[in-house]
Amino acid sequence: MQDTLAMVDDPEYEEEEPSFSDPEDFEDDIEDEELLEDILRDKPQEADGIDSVVVVDNVPQVGPERLEKLKNVIHKIFSKFGKITTEFYPEADGMTKGYIFLEYAAPTQAVEAVKNADGYKLDKQHTFRVNLFTDFDKYMNISDEWEAPEKQPFKDFGNMRHWIEDSDCRDQYSVIYEAGERTAIFSNDAKDPILAEERARWTETYVRWSPKGTYLATFHQRGIALWGGEKFKQIQRFSHQGVSLIDFSPCERYVVTFSPLMDTKEDPQAIIIWDILTGQKKRGFHCESSAHWPIFKWSHDGKFFARMTTDTLSIYETPSMGLLDKKSLKINGIKDFSWSPGDNIIAFWVPEDKDIPARVTLMQLPSRQEIRVRNLFNVVDCKLHWQRNGDYLCVKVDRTPKGTQGVVTNFEIFRMREKQVPVDVVEMKESIIAFAWEPNGSKFAVLHGESPRINASFYHVKNNGKIELIKMFDKQQANSIFWSPQGQFMVLAGLRSMNGALAFVDTSDCTMMNIAEHYMASDVEWDPTGRYVVTSVSWWSHKVDNAYWLWTFQGRLLQKNNKDRFCQLLWRPRPPTLLSSDQIKMIKKDLKKYSKIFEQKDRLSQSKASKELVDKRRAMMEEYRHYREAAQQLYHEQKSLRLELRGGVDTDELDSNVDDWEEETIEFFINEEIIPLGDL
Amino acid sequence: MKPILLQGHERSITQIKYNREGDLLFSVAKDTVTNVWYSVNGERLGTYNGHTGAVWCVDCDWDTKNVLTGSADNSCRLWDCETGKQLALLNTNSAVRTCGFDFSGNIIMFSTDKQMGYQCFLNFFDLRDPQQMEDNNPYLSVPCSECKITSAVWGALGEFVIAGHENGEINQFSAKSGEILKKAKEHTRQINDIQTSVDLTMVITASKDNTSKLFDSNSLDHIKTFRTDRPVNSAAISPIMDHVVMGGGQEAMDVTTTSTRIGKFEARFFHAAYEEEFGRVKGHFGPINCVAFHPDGKSYSSGGEDGYVRIHYFDPHYFDFELEA
Repeated sequence: MQDTLAMVDDPEYEEEEPSFSDPEDFEDDIEDEELLEDILRDKPQEADGIDSVVVVDNVPQVGPERLEKLKNVIHKIFSKFGKITTEFYPEADGMTKGYIFLEYAAPTQAVEAVKNADGYKLDKQHTFRVNLFTDFDKYMNISDEWEAPEKQPFKDFGNMRHWIEDSDCRDQYSVIYEAGERTAIFSNDAKDPILAEERARWTETYVRWSPKGTYLATFHQRGIALWGGEKFKQIQRFSHQGVSLIDFSPCERYVVTFSPLMDTKEDPQAIIIWDILTGQKKRGFHCESSAHWPIFKWSHDGKFFARMTTDTLSIYETPSMGLLDKKSLKINGIKDFSWSPGDNIIAFWVPEDKDIPARVTLMQLPSRQEIRVRNLFNVVDCKLHWQRNGDYLCVKVDRTPKGTQGVVTNFEIFRMREKQVPVDVVEMKESIIAFAWEPNGSKFAVLHGESPRINASFYHVKNNGKIELIKMFDKQQANSIFWSPQGQFMVLAGLRSMNGALAFVDTSDCTMMNIAEHYMASDVEWDPTGRYVVTSVSWWSHKVDNAYWLWTFQGRLLQKNNKDRFCQLLWRPRPPTLLSSDQIKMIKKDLKKYSKIFEQKDRLSQSKASKELVDKRRAMMEEYRHYREAAQQLYHEQKSLRLELRGGVDTDELDSNVDDWEEETIEFFINEEIIPLGDL
Repeated sequence: MKPILLQGHERSITQIKYNREGDLLFSVAKDTVTNVWYSVNGERLGTYNGHTGAVWCVDCDWDTKNVLTGSADNSCRLWDCETGKQLALLNTNSAVRTCGFDFSGNIIMFSTDKQMGYQCFLNFFDLRDPQQMEDNNPYLSVPCSECKITSAVWGALGEFVIAGHENGEINQFSAKSGEILKKAKEHTRQINDIQTSVDLTMVITASKDNTSKLFDSNSLDHIKTFRTDRPVNSAAISPIMDHVVMGGGQEAMDVTTTSTRIGKFEARFFHAAYEEEFGRVKGHFGPINCVAFHPDGKSYSSGGEDGYVRIHYFDPHYFDFELEA
């Protein structure tokens, strides 16, 4: 051993072992990161720790005896998002403070936790608020100097409600004609339509008005455009390649577009919801088929929208565009649903499932409380019909009663405004062709029977629980019902195959005001005020006689407007009235006073029109007379030539040569009488 | 007043014509039959037998002595009006579409269709020269290579013929030289009919382009236009009122369903100066092919695709009616 030690210290051995030390002045030029890359990666970093930490507030404050339980619950909830590496429950005075710190293995897990656990309701008093620890830093470090956001230039589109201010209260309507080449906007006047705007190729397919009439939407290959204001300037553009269908939210804040082209697995683009004012894309959705457009149904106030997929009802809220309560409703077998037009209530129905009967359910939102369930037996199909104010819901139930083969139809009428929503049933003996509620009232009309024996029945849903049949008209030529938007009046129309038969009905006493016809009419559209009705023959359904006719609500024909290859007419909707119901009552009381002024105005304008026409005619007649005089003159000058050509016989007048006349007796056929001669 | 219904044809009427005095009404149809009726009570006088194809046109001279007809059997025939005897037969190479006597009744013209390799000709014969008829040698034969003549009438003094063509053009052909004296291109589609006013100063044209137009006979100046929504088959000018009547109908080929309910085809009355429609008369079961005013202006007749000729006598109200001016 001594030898080895001696060997080391022995200068002789130094030469045999090379030195591995760096030279004195050597500076390595390799960075640590290069050399130690893999090791450095695992180097604990201060930043790492912070990014994976979440802070949970509103945690119950417990004493030591319940702390273990609390920790278990927290653990159970939060380990769903990742591996919890550390947890810290700060305490004060023997109780937990009410907030805790959790550290995850990776920052992504922390983000997941924030996304999903924030807002989690532990119990009635405790709803977790979850934030990233780093967020606190971010919010604390917001600079004290507030930088105003860059001002975007204000695009002034003028008065968007300009058309409503028309002094004669004319409503507008859009007309597409020349097979889609031209689109025009007219103001409706009883005498003649007044052209407001007309553009070639304004849209590539058709147009749609927004629900309150503010915007006109046109379709193009690249997307849709919204137009409005006095001059119909372009307000907004939404790029959605191949868009084919759109839908507006009732509040006009959002528009939903559908295109069958754009849909990829990662980025759902078939249906896109846009914010109209900012033009931003809010959210995209997948969509398999557009068979039942609109796929998304809006609640009346635009707060929610929902769609149905297999066994699921997904309800989203605005403006976040997220699922209400972060999850969809699982409803097995859900066949159809619809929103009440008056409240945030959804009605849906599920068919029979083994021994559970079919049922219709009314669900209140956002509470998800089922306010009414109605069981139905032997159901084949159901259709939901809401009255326009949401006062009533009619469920048309097609049933096959036990022991029979045929299908009978019942109407289950839900009275929404009464406590506990009582349901009354109306049985219908014949098959139903059409059903429609009176918009502002409590009547409904039904077309039933088989062609040619089609009957129109009118029912009144009375307050005392009875549903009374007011009147039935039989042998009607009708396949569609069109109520006036103000109620009371309606048109029964036999469109398309029924050759345009029209019946104008006053339902206050169920009388036929007028029966008329617009041969081959394909569409009937009431104006928003219920004063006028337009029937039209669209080029899309019939290639000749394309025109739209204007009628009064009583069925008096006012105008026939022929338009070359007329396609579509749509009235511009009106925004809801700004008057309170008291103000409306006052106006109705003073109606006589107002009507005098209007009548005078009407008379003036009519006489003005006649005057214009009369002047025009006078001018034309002058011109014509002038021409005729000249021609007459030439005719007289040529008389001698004429005499010559006819051998001196003056034939200029029919009675020129009376001498040549003969007297003749002629028999006139008056009557025919057949007298049998008896048996021969 | 109830119209008089003349049932004498089995196929659609192609033309009807009153004689100058108006007591007779001639009707020809696709069933090869040429009839003549008393216009006062609708009693049929007789038939001119001989044609073997659809008869397209008929005319009567000013003295109601001769009758001229043109047919798809490639012949133009002259008849004695009173006896019904065929006086002359002029064979042609293609169907005779339009024919007429001039003001004097001495010269006849007829046009032949562009068919089977033969082009359209406008032929003139002088009846005072029997040789022309015997040899079937017209003194003037004007070819129309571009666009065939679909309807034609004589001018006021027999100096020219005003012809309407398939492309909507109207030309004045000189009856002496055959050259085109004046032209007018106002219509965009085929001229179906041309008729003169009773004093021959104006002509009215009926066209497939859904309009009818009034022209001055001599200058071919376009004076008025009457617009409808259907092709116009025939138009006539009232002898005593500032009215014109038009008859027409939907092309059978163009639509699958037309308003064919009973009596829906209407004759339309327009005010000649205001160009405004003021009345319609229903009654025909199919498109109206020909209309004509009685020379005294107190009645008018129409012949339709349904094979019926209807004579309508106007109510007194018609003569008092005035559009506000």
